[in-house]
Amino acid sequence: MTNYPIFTSTMSKEYTVTYSSDNVYENWVYDAYWQFLIMPFENESQEILDIDFKNSLHTINEFSVNGYGFKTIRVQSKKKFKNVTFEGRFKVLKSEIKEPPIPSRAEILKSYEEINSLTFKVNFQRFLKTTGLTTLPIGNKPLFKFDNITSIIENLHSLNNWVYQHLHYLTGVTDISSTLEKVLSQQSGVCQDFAHVFCALARYNGIPARYVSGYLNHESGYVGDSQMHAWAEAFVPDFGWLGFDPTNNIIENSNHIKVSHGKDYNDCSPLKGVVHSQGNHKTNHSVVVKNHQQQIQQ
Amino acid sequence: MTNIENQIFSSYQKNPDLYDEIYDSEGNVKDVYQKLFDIYGGHSIQDYVNLNSKAKSSFFNQGITFQVYGEDNVQEKIFPFDLFPRIIDPDEWDIIERGSIQRAKALNLFLWDIYHDKKILKDNIVPLELISSSANYLDQMNGVDPPGGIYNHISGTDIIKHKDGKYYVLEDNIRCPSGVSYVICNRTALKRALFGVFNHYQTHTVTDYAENLLEQLESVKPKGVDIPNCVVITPGMFNSAFYEHSYLAKNMGVELVEGRDLFVENDFVYMKTIKGPERVDVIYRRIDDGFLDPLEFRPDSALGVPGLFAAYKKGNVTLANAPGTGVADDKAVYTYMPEIIKYYLKEEPILNNVHTYHCSRPDELEYVLENISELVIKPVDEAGGYGISIGNRLSKQEIEEVRKQVKETPRKYVAQPIMSLSVHPTYIDESESFEQRHVDLRTFTILGKDDEFVLKGGLTRVALKKGNLIVNSSQGGGSKDTWVLKKQ
Repeated sequence: MTNYPIFTSTMSKEYTVTYSSDNVYENWVYDAYWQFLIMPFENESQEILDIDFKNSLHTINEFSVNGYGFKTIRVQSKKKFKNVTFEGRFKVLKSEIKEPPIPSRAEILKSYEEINSLTFKVNFQRFLKTTGLTTLPIGNKPLFKFDNITSIIENLHSLNNWVYQHLHYLTGVTDISSTLEKVLSQQSGVCQDFAHVFCALARYNGIPARYVSGYLNHESGYVGDSQMHAWAEAFVPDFGWLGFDPTNNIIENSNHIKVSHGKDYNDCSPLKGVVHSQGNHKTNHSVVVKNHQQQIQQ
Repeated sequence: MTNIENQIFSSYQKNPDLYDEIYDSEGNVKDVYQKLFDIYGGHSIQDYVNLNSKAKSSFFNQGITFQVYGEDNVQEKIFPFDLFPRIIDPDEWDIIERGSIQRAKALNLFLWDIYHDKKILKDNIVPLELISSSANYLDQMNGVDPPGGIYNHISGTDIIKHKDGKYYVLEDNIRCPSGVSYVICNRTALKRALFGVFNHYQTHTVTDYAENLLEQLESVKPKGVDIPNCVVITPGMFNSAFYEHSYLAKNMGVELVEGRDLFVENDFVYMKTIKGPERVDVIYRRIDDGFLDPLEFRPDSALGVPGLFAAYKKGNVTLANAPGTGVADDKAVYTYMPEIIKYYLKEEPILNNVHTYHCSRPDELEYVLENISELVIKPVDEAGGYGISIGNRLSKQEIEEVRKQVKETPRKYVAQPIMSLSVHPTYIDESESFEQRHVDLRTFTILGKDDEFVLKGGLTRVALKKGNLIVNSSQGGGSKDTWVLKKQ
């Protein structure tokens, strides 16, 4: 007889994410190339059921992979245009995230030894190093220091709470190139800024952290951007990557649909394009996340 | 020595503190130079003035020009060429050649390692900090296997002879080293001006560079490609090395393209031709990493090809040199070259490294700050001789400025003892005579899938300003034809 793993009753949710982008140009555009990083990522807690992508130019959509291994959709224009719309629909099955078990005293000691080892630092150097968007202002006393008596996971929860308490969610006061110096001095910003502060302080304490770009279930009542939401993942020794959403002071759950991760926003920007055009242009993006069946029992 | 031999060298002043390439320690002309010395000595200075202008016009006629950045009026200049060749005997060349290959191979293994298992970092031979703080380390290259396992297909190794008579490497250039076209054109110019002298020497040819480059580029073709289509991509005619890009494309018999001539579809690269799209398999790229692909690197780049990196990562096209190779020609990595060679090749370095002080290390920084007047201070990430300060040439005030800069950003600087580059008789326009000028040598090493090639010649660069130690063309340097003699 085969031993099947014991299933705890996992809640799964099925979503349809609709991403649309409307672009109007003042003059004819003859040459353009777009790359979308908007497809939900496939991992243990996310399964993609269906992908549909349309562009109004009726050219072929190419599916490729970017430099960090995330799936992209690319569109090249073959004829001149003034208007172009894109619409992507992704059906995703999202299950609850597993949380790490509470470590023993000995495991806590071991985990701090591990993060201080050279091998660990080399293996995770990409998510330990500082980037332009995650540079902490110098000169100040440490903003958040881990307490080595308690576990890394507990410290990360405290950090998540610290960022949530320290910053106010306010739109229009920062943009995608705002530095932490600005964010921390004005103590406000949007989800990208919360995620950058979390990453910077986790890394400062020797914990690899990555910026995550994705979608948020708007029906959940959580705070987040109506388009792409941002949160962070931190590496917990003996467990793996765990998502933290400092904007909402929660850990990632079945209301988060991940698209990509990186060192900071720049690795994750949802749309990159090379468009040769003159004059003004208007762009309008929108994202709708719909939860179809509330709670499917697995 | 008879007077007639000395006719044009009669006013040649030998500074005993410098290592002169043509004289031995007793002041006699070295054997390999004797014949040349005799022949040149048989001419009058007036002959030289005439020959010199003939050689110059040869360069203009060949269209070999370059541009200097940072000047208000950017203009085309010819790279000053000197009629008196440098001769390297077979035994010395053997050391240079083996040493150049050794370094290129060690750097290639180093690059593979730091983009895969990172053993050298885990073993703490090279500090992790060097890699994680390097702007030239491309995270996107992690785990990528370049075709044939080659990163630095083309390496330019800058070598000098110190006053102790030994060769030292100053720099390994593995981004887009330039200068090889000058090597070949210098030979052409010298043959046009003084063909007769070649009859007296058995000199290795340098005109086989392009065919060897093409052969090695073809050896690293993508999997599944039978006869690869190679191209050279250039940033365009305003680039300082555009002449070289066009020269190499022409002599390899391949297309010279700009970014806009290529496009990517379904992760394959195509060239636009009047007969329709033509697939491209190997790209010898003379544009920097940051400009290769606006979707992956600098979004404002108009020089690159959107989608190129994804095609590369899929293994559908070869880029030479591989993206991310520049991390290994950081001047701070240079200082670990002896360790890197021993670590991967289990060999002793054949060519010497100049001792280097890392300003990022507190104790070494202290030494540097106190001894600036005896050191050369170099920024770690600038090429072309920009930003170099030579301690004993600085005024007190300038020393203070350098000290301040180094103190502010120590990671950005390394320091080395002032090396005394060897000197070589060089014809000087203004004095219409031969004078001692400092020289270095850049060798060109090509790595292919299972083979390697070193151009038997290289570029001898001359610092034309009296006493100047910086030989880069962008700093007003000239060059000499470099003869590697065949073994008797």
